[in-house]
Amino acid sequence: MENQLSTTLNDTTQYIVINLGTEQYGIDIKYIDNIVRMQQITRVPQVSPYWKGVINLRGEVIPVMSLRVKMGMEADEATKNTRIIIIKMDQHEPIGVMVDSVKEVVTLSTSQVERVPQDSRENGYVCGIGKQEQGLISLLDIELVLQDM
Amino acid sequence: MDVSQYLDIFLDESREHLQSLNNNMLELEQNSENMDTINEIFRSAHTLKGMAGTMGFKRMQTLTHDMENVFSEVRDGNIKVNSDMIDVLFQCLDALEGYVSIIQETSDEGDNDNQPIINALNACLTGKKADAAATPAEEKPAKKSAKKSTKSKAKADTKAAEEKKEGAPAPAVSMKLSEEEQKAVEDAMMANRKLYHITVTVQDTCLLKAARAFLVFKAIEDHGEVLATNPSTQDIEDEKFDFVFQILIATDGELQPILDAIKTVSEIGDAVGVPFSGESAVSSEEPAEEEEAPAKEEDKETLPAEAPQEAASKPAPAAAQTPAAAPAKKPAGKPAVNRTVRVDIEKLDSLMNLVSELIIAKNSLVSSATSLGNNSNQLNDHIEYLESVTTNLHESVMKVRMVPIESVVTKFPRMIRDLSKKLNKPIELYMTGEDTELDRTVVDEIGDPLMHLLRNSADHGIEDPEIRAQRGKPEVGSIYLDAYQDGNNVVIEVKDDGNGIDVEAVKRKAIERGVLTEEQAAVSDDNDIIRLLFLPSFSTAKKVTDVSGRGVGLDVVKSKIESLSGEVDVKSKLGEGSTFSIRLPLTLAIIQALMVVVGDEKYAIALGGIQTIEDISPSDIKTVQGSEVINLRGNVIPLVRLDKVVGVESKRSPEDNMVVVIAKKGDKLAGFIVDELIGQQEIVIKSMGKYINKCKFISGATILGDGEIALIIDANALM
Repeated sequence: MENQLSTTLNDTTQYIVINLGTEQYGIDIKYIDNIVRMQQITRVPQVSPYWKGVINLRGEVIPVMSLRVKMGMEADEATKNTRIIIIKMDQHEPIGVMVDSVKEVVTLSTSQVERVPQDSRENGYVCGIGKQEQGLISLLDIELVLQDM
Repeated sequence: MDVSQYLDIFLDESREHLQSLNNNMLELEQNSENMDTINEIFRSAHTLKGMAGTMGFKRMQTLTHDMENVFSEVRDGNIKVNSDMIDVLFQCLDALEGYVSIIQETSDEGDNDNQPIINALNACLTGKKADAAATPAEEKPAKKSAKKSTKSKAKADTKAAEEKKEGAPAPAVSMKLSEEEQKAVEDAMMANRKLYHITVTVQDTCLLKAARAFLVFKAIEDHGEVLATNPSTQDIEDEKFDFVFQILIATDGELQPILDAIKTVSEIGDAVGVPFSGESAVSSEEPAEEEEAPAKEEDKETLPAEAPQEAASKPAPAAAQTPAAAPAKKPAGKPAVNRTVRVDIEKLDSLMNLVSELIIAKNSLVSSATSLGNNSNQLNDHIEYLESVTTNLHESVMKVRMVPIESVVTKFPRMIRDLSKKLNKPIELYMTGEDTELDRTVVDEIGDPLMHLLRNSADHGIEDPEIRAQRGKPEVGSIYLDAYQDGNNVVIEVKDDGNGIDVEAVKRKAIERGVLTEEQAAVSDDNDIIRLLFLPSFSTAKKVTDVSGRGVGLDVVKSKIESLSGEVDVKSKLGEGSTFSIRLPLTLAIIQALMVVVGDEKYAIALGGIQTIEDISPSDIKTVQGSEVINLRGNVIPLVRLDKVVGVESKRSPEDNMVVVIAKKGDKLAGFIVDELIGQQEIVIKSMGKYINKCKFISGATILGDGEIALIIDANALM
């Protein structure tokens, strides 16, 4: 028991698991400020296609991007499962990321994560693969996603 | 009690004094005989020294002290102002500014003694003595200060003597003691300690009275025990006294060392002590003591009333003794202190945010009332009333936030003076409209861009005096900084009568850099070419000086101004000079806007720029050089189809009459075709963040009454 506790403290990270199409992705929970349901998005003209527009989050105007378009998949279709994940990082303004659905929170220890080396990353933003009984989770380097704009 | 709570005040006041020193020095440089200016400088320097001393910033105090010595000699006519001396003094001001900014960052003054400047200041002092008698440099200041202190002691003595003649024992009687204090007095007398009653007068120009009093208490702590004070210690700490307070002290030593200790505290005008005989106090106190409890309240009221009388009687003899300094000291802004309040800008920001929220809430109320239907007149009345209140509230808060640009531009004359010396070009700066007001946040940011533009004008614009002479221009170059309000905008212009921008040189450079092709260059008009200067890393200066020319000037100016929702433009004529004009919105947070519909989207257009709204038949549209225009009452106005700009389908059929919003920018007009008008509304501008602001003509977003977001179209960017 004690042993387990110390590994939890030292070597594990919690991820929010999201679905994009048939794939599962994980986002480090420390970046996530909030998860909200799909709401009216105001389109902003003449911006990159992955920007869906802006939403009103309790009086703050927050830009929302489509993770699907950003990662080169086909455009979103809003369903009742669609969620907007509000990401807040130090030194950055909050930003909303639209995903197909949010599944669960998982805790992965370092041994369950296989790092993807920098140079062999296929579509850029996946920094590791989390192995779990229910399947594989591609772990997103969200900082990299936001830098690349 | 801790002096750190005064740090903010100290920083603010120091900056003000340094600014006024800078201004007055510039004036002194022009007119070295002006006694008023010299006195003004001397007072500022003296106050600054006092404040630094109070706060315990010894190095700053030393430097100011030496500076003050120079001024005092100038004032007494012992040395003449010359340009070397002014240079040294300006260096000294810069060093003091350095201290202030270090103090702001670290709450400590750092460890730079600025010895070279102190030496230079002392050299100014000894320079004149060297002519009269060749005495060693170091001795002089020492002797002088010695002389001064004896002088001031003599002053104090005569004053003390006067005091006695005028009835010094009076204060002893006026001191009323509480029961505990009375007991302490009796104990001290039993212990055979000497009791003194000391009246301390703080100079009436003193700003941190409580801090002074604190230092006084600290100074006498070593000499004896404070038994009682008048007013109470608490009131003194809270600055609830005029310029006089009294101390009853029990000591084993003599009176004089205590008085001397008190006088070492700066800005203390005087300290007078008389032996305190317990009996007299007790006897005078006896009748009062019986009804002490009810009388206490009254005491508090009557005591301060006595103090001013004393204060009033004191400045009179002082004024007689030093006719030069004392009378002028009096108008040192006492009423102003009482009528203004310093407010932290963050508090104003949060107030502004609350007002913004209130207006959004009011807008929601309006929209839900409309959706309820028109069946309640009463509700509508209340809403209208609420609307007028929120509008007034908003205006008041806005006004509070408005500050004159003066606070930014006052440092420029000094800067131009320094540049003029450095570049060896005589330059004169003329400023108008310093009282033009802008939102605080804008004023804070506008300083750097203006400085860039002025440096540019001085360095690149104004020619060398020889060339100016050849061209038949006056040898002294002129730079004008003009600010004025134009509708909902404020325009600031930096104009020089220098060389102007060489369009051909810019063109060559642009081609060289690959910014333009030869063909493009051939067809571009001069204004387009000149605007290339605002591109990053585009400097045409032939040589890089440390004033400007590193290519990080104009593009920084442009991006800064644009981040303030403003714009910058330049007009220039080769050989005659250039004019840079900055156009800024009056406010940043809440504006009146016209809400329009384009396709199925709502947009807001700032009302300030809108001239009229016209109903135009499609047949009135003419085409000139491939772009659509209308002829409106003799003006040919270019048209902008907003549906095309924002990329939506217009809902109107092409045959229907069009709604055209005519907007004005400077002397340009343009018509914006929209689908529908919703009406005028007060909107709160929200930033969209840096991720999504790539779109030039969207200046922000606003939240409507129903929670929906509408984007704000910057009509200026589309003209």
